[in-house]
Amino acid sequence: MSRIPIRLRVTLAFSLAMAVLLSALGLFIYTRFESELSDQIDQSLRTHGDDIASLVAAGDLAPNSKLLGREESSAQVLTPDGRVYVTTPQLGQDPQIAPADAARATQASFIVTRDRVRGIDGEARVLARPAQGPGGSYVVVTASSLDDRNDSLSNLRGILLIGGPVALLLASLAGYALAGTALRPVEAMRRRAAAISAAEPAQRLPLPEADDELRRLGETLNAMLGRLEAALERERGFVDDASHELRTPLALHKTELELALRYAQTPEEMRAAIASAIVEVDRLIALAEDLLVLARSAEGKLALQLRRVGVAELLTDIRERFAARASQAGRSLTVVPANGVTIDADRLRLERALANLIENAFQHGEGEITVRATETGHDLQIHVEDAGPGFPQGFIERAFERFTRGDPARTGDGTGLGLAIVDAIARAHRGSAHAANRDGQGADVWIELPANRN
Amino acid sequence: MRVLIVEDEPKMAGLLRRGLRQEGIAADLAGRGEDAVWMAGATEYDAIVLDLMLPGIDGLEVCRRLRDDGVISPILMLTARDGVRDRVAGLDSGADDYLVKPFSYAELLARLRALARRGNGTRSPELRVGDLSLDPARRRARRGDREIELSAKEFAVLEVFMRRPGEVLSRFQLLEHAWDYEYENRSNIVDSYVRLIRRKIDRPFGTRSIETVRGAGYRLREEGGGR
Repeated sequence: MSRIPIRLRVTLAFSLAMAVLLSALGLFIYTRFESELSDQIDQSLRTHGDDIASLVAAGDLAPNSKLLGREESSAQVLTPDGRVYVTTPQLGQDPQIAPADAARATQASFIVTRDRVRGIDGEARVLARPAQGPGGSYVVVTASSLDDRNDSLSNLRGILLIGGPVALLLASLAGYALAGTALRPVEAMRRRAAAISAAEPAQRLPLPEADDELRRLGETLNAMLGRLEAALERERGFVDDASHELRTPLALHKTELELALRYAQTPEEMRAAIASAIVEVDRLIALAEDLLVLARSAEGKLALQLRRVGVAELLTDIRERFAARASQAGRSLTVVPANGVTIDADRLRLERALANLIENAFQHGEGEITVRATETGHDLQIHVEDAGPGFPQGFIERAFERFTRGDPARTGDGTGLGLAIVDAIARAHRGSAHAANRDGQGADVWIELPANRN
Repeated sequence: MRVLIVEDEPKMAGLLRRGLRQEGIAADLAGRGEDAVWMAGATEYDAIVLDLMLPGIDGLEVCRRLRDDGVISPILMLTARDGVRDRVAGLDSGADDYLVKPFSYAELLARLRALARRGNGTRSPELRVGDLSLDPARRRARRGDREIELSAKEFAVLEVFMRRPGEVLSRFQLLEHAWDYEYENRSNIVDSYVRLIRRKIDRPFGTRSIETVRGAGYRLREEGGGR
């Protein structure tokens, strides 16, 4: 059933219901008609019988006198032993019912249907009833042919048997057409959906006017298209930004080399140009790696090698790693470890995230840098704080997006990916990354990770 | 020829200036859009190399403002954005040419020469005044069939004369087109170069092509001082 197309399925269900309904209706009409006809015949037999019984009672009937029949029924008056007393002429002198029946009819009247009755063609309805005359008791018999009734019924049967299926067929065709009309908005939506591509992501499905299931379906699908469009827009923006970011160092690199090739005359000049070019290549490599990390994390495929990491030990390592950088920059780097706390983390990635935060604090912040681990409930927060001017207005909301920079002048060697990578790494660890200004005392960026307490 | 480089990436800007100077093209740097607008308004540059991504007002806006201010210097837009829409927006904002990073340095030079040519109303890549000819692309100067050896700066100054034959050029105009802001405005540097050039283009040929116009400056005679 489920393989049949919906339009046909709706039509079939409709036809089935229609068939049951039409059959029931036909059956009802037929039986009603039949009982109506039978009642009419019986009623007329009874009236005829009553009339004759009155004649008998009045003593108006002499033996062997002729009894006038009626159009629709014949009549006889029998003696209780079953002999003909009076009859309609065409029946002759033979009784229409057997003597046993006549005897029964002296007690109470009855109506029966008989296949064969004297003087009547085909089936007949026969009424027998007692009647009291001045000369004793008699039996009045009236009979009527059922041919007319049977003809009418067979006509009706014919009409129903032909008309019913025709009506069913017409109703089914109408149902099929209606189902088509009802499904037209679906077809319109399908056609539009088939035409929507990434080239025109702003396209939406047409919605039916009526506020119904189809409209709600269309609205839901359109909302989905909207989300996809936004995602596509973000991806395009990312690709645009990525190509821009790749081109800048590439342009530098190329110009550097071209100039060296054109103008450098001494080995020293050549050496300086090559050294400078290598810096650009390093920047490109870092950028390519960053982009790879982000692309993998966007696909949810950032592979982590989870190990149990002691937070105190991690922070101490970080401090040692950045000690030289700090003294070079004339800044101090303090760590405040959370003793006894461990986390399940990919140590390299986590160090990478923290290094990005600390490097940001060196480049964009001022004063003392504090790396502070705090435990809150089941989570561990690692804050990196500096005493600089903090984030510019409106930057915090976008801080973790790709290719955003607090400083539009692109100072420094940053790619605008550092915080995006921190965020990606935190998420891969089922954690999160946050940024805030510390009330004019500098910036505070932290990651929050699920922790274990020993 | 004097060019304004508007580029916010310091390393790139430095490289471009170094390269242009090697070609004898005077180059000034502007790191911000606002600086570019006033610098281009103050000096008549032969070409402006404009990066699209700038802090403050961006390249498109700089371009629009320059054109609104009546700056006619040809503008070569330099950018890492290569979408058709970006290029159309760039050209429609008033730029004359568009070059996508990473570009070839040789192409940048060629396009700058083409732009300077266009700004000058001439179409031939070679400048000719009388029997003096100058080919900026090949950096060759000749009188008749004889090659003349010129230093980069001598070449640049002679190019300024050759682009405006018959016109009296003040020392300031010569300075403006052949030197950038890094040089102190000492007008006797112009006199020294004119002397050096005369020594190379006139003395060996017995001609007098660059005249001193008393109280005004110098003039390259329209017939090139030929005999």
